[in-house]
Amino acid sequence: MKEKQRVLVTGFGIVSPIGNGAGENLAGLRAGRDGVSTVTAFDVSKTRCKTAGQVNDDWLKDVFPPNRRTQRLHRSSRMVAAALVEAMSMAGTTSPELVVFSTSVGAMSNGEQFYRAVLKSKSRRSMARWVGNYMPQKPILDALELVGLRLPMQVVSNACSSGTNSIGHAFNLIRDGLNSCVICGGYDPLSELVFVGFDSLQASTPEKIRPFDLHRSGLVLGEGSAVLILESEESVHKRKATAYAEISGYGVSTDTYHLTQPNPSGVGPRLSMERALQSAGSDSIDYINAHGTATLYNDATEGIAISQLLPGAPVSSTKSMMGHALGAAGAIEAVFCVLALQEQFLPPNIHFREPDPTWRFEVVANQSRSASIRTALSNSFGFGGTNASLLLRGI
Amino acid sequence: MSLFVQGVGAVSPLGPNAATTWAQLVAGNEAPRKPLRNGVTGREYYYVPVPEKFIAEAGRQPRLRRSGTLSLMGAAAAYDALADAGFQPEVQLGARCAVVYAICSGGVNYTRRFYHELVTQGANAVSPMLFPETVYNAPASHLAALLKLDGQSYTLVGDSAVGLSAIHFAAQLLTHQRELELCVVVGTEEVDWILSDAFGSWRMATRNSDFEVFGKLSGTIFGEGAAAVVLGRTNGIPLVRIGPGLTFFSRHDALAAARQVIQPMIQEEAPDCVISSANGTFIDQIEERVLRELLPTTLVYSYKPALGDALGASSLFQTVFAALALRNQTVPGTRRGGHRLTSLARESRTMKLRRALVTVIGFNQQVNSLLLGN
Repeated sequence: MKEKQRVLVTGFGIVSPIGNGAGENLAGLRAGRDGVSTVTAFDVSKTRCKTAGQVNDDWLKDVFPPNRRTQRLHRSSRMVAAALVEAMSMAGTTSPELVVFSTSVGAMSNGEQFYRAVLKSKSRRSMARWVGNYMPQKPILDALELVGLRLPMQVVSNACSSGTNSIGHAFNLIRDGLNSCVICGGYDPLSELVFVGFDSLQASTPEKIRPFDLHRSGLVLGEGSAVLILESEESVHKRKATAYAEISGYGVSTDTYHLTQPNPSGVGPRLSMERALQSAGSDSIDYINAHGTATLYNDATEGIAISQLLPGAPVSSTKSMMGHALGAAGAIEAVFCVLALQEQFLPPNIHFREPDPTWRFEVVANQSRSASIRTALSNSFGFGGTNASLLLRGI
Repeated sequence: MSLFVQGVGAVSPLGPNAATTWAQLVAGNEAPRKPLRNGVTGREYYYVPVPEKFIAEAGRQPRLRRSGTLSLMGAAAAYDALADAGFQPEVQLGARCAVVYAICSGGVNYTRRFYHELVTQGANAVSPMLFPETVYNAPASHLAALLKLDGQSYTLVGDSAVGLSAIHFAAQLLTHQRELELCVVVGTEEVDWILSDAFGSWRMATRNSDFEVFGKLSGTIFGEGAAAVVLGRTNGIPLVRIGPGLTFFSRHDALAAARQVIQPMIQEEAPDCVISSANGTFIDQIEERVLRELLPTTLVYSYKPALGDALGASSLFQTVFAALALRNQTVPGTRRGGHRLTSLARESRTMKLRRALVTVIGFNQQVNSLLLGN
């Protein structure tokens, strides 16, 4: 096995409710843009929560010139493809060997359309397309086909930690010399089934999403896609490419307390953060992009873990601006960390009113601010007790 | 780095464990099929169920009391594989062990029921009990809890090739993490009428009660079950080669992808048998062409006419049967083998086996292969 390699980010692309592309997302983060609005994709008259972070459909429709191939693309495929095209063009002439991607919802909305058609006993003519496109890997395949890349692919579905898991796994492969360039990232579209599912669990809120606020009342969902091109330092030097950030550590843990609730002691998040720090050989963090879903239990356990392990660190949950994009969240938030490291600022935690007096960290409340940051930690914790943390460094 | 299949496990329509299933396959038996009626249109398909008694013991675990068949079968198969590898269930594995799960349709029964409630009764009437089991990684989470793991648990999603993708992922973990001793790789699939109806709409599933492989392409029928392998660094059947697989964008492209994936597997030495993914669909045509071209005389076996196509579990079933073929020096006879492939094993045969190749072409654009040695 080769000696350990530094793992560098040579390209990234992003589509989120606060912007299309890295430039718009950077502006949105700086401005503390609220990307959450009333859901338009399906009927929300009978749910408590009525809002979500939504990617602009008009933009998605026009993102690729219309032709036989692009016209048939589902909006999930368009999101992934737009992020991939942006990342690949930023990375320049690179030779990826593998795709490690993530999703939690997958292309569920195709399944929803299929089921509604079955109930109405409609013609079966259009059904085959929905079935063929239902598989969670399909939007990634569509995006790869669009850019002409036929690559091996691993699709991780560890619920809300999936995005961080996909980047973390790609990081390990490059660091240990098994690969020199890997495309990683995640996607998740808004889906009626999942939206109603979170509403039925009363995990989502009819109010504004207020992560880490003493009076937080739950999450709102989001959607989007982010892609990162990870490359070994050797490969970056060889082709004289530009690196935008370094991935320096990754930690995971499994919290087997309950399928949908974290262990209240905070042991799961704490272990994953400790393991990420250990993997990076680091003990100080300048910014934490928290999982911060704004549910009572999640923020409580993450709050305890951060207070114990990294007291005093500036913390924000960017889900306050765009909602929780589930399987895409970790990838989107990793890109947010890259932007924060590049531009030397702390993204805000908007709608924040009152801190919890028991926690020992500073919430970056309501407004972004300039700061000198060298290291950022991104947390993602999911259903089923999957916890993942990623450590990034500026270049 | 050398990796080994230390143990294999399964729960299938023919048996509560891998050993019983294998004995039934070698005896030439096929599992009974049951009709499955579309709850809305009345359209009927057949499927191959796992009898409830086979998973009754897993269902007694408090953690699994409210979970779906998918998780029960997965846990039963994983326990069978761990026992085969010599681990006692009460041994606390902690971070020494990782779980890697292969999922295709996921908790389709819960998903369909939840969405049916939503559409027919309204969003304010759905049961919150159903939703958590619709999440793809629910079975992995339950298994991690049963094994008291605090380290890594991953769920990979994909088509029938996802089982090999999961083995490859586990091999990557074992290669770069010295502190990790073993990985339990599990694939599981449950059947609901919506699954058969959907694949029927796609012209991939037949409404007959059986199908032949490498013959008339009538479509497949689905089977339930779970299969598991324990992967470690010592003792067991050598994992000679596993690649990351490849994607393909059209059926024409699939042949080139299959060739590209299989060729490196057989470069050093031709395998003595192939455990194929043929299932009565276009997949048979691609496998037939690539096997005729690359391995024209190697004996080929497909388990699917006997057990049904178990999608997310299918390539792990193939791997388990490849391991058992090497262990028992036997290749079972393929039930309902068509005339298009002369090298198809039609009767069970005991013979000297050094290498067994698993080939998988998935419904949804993924292809992979694995080589086990003896």
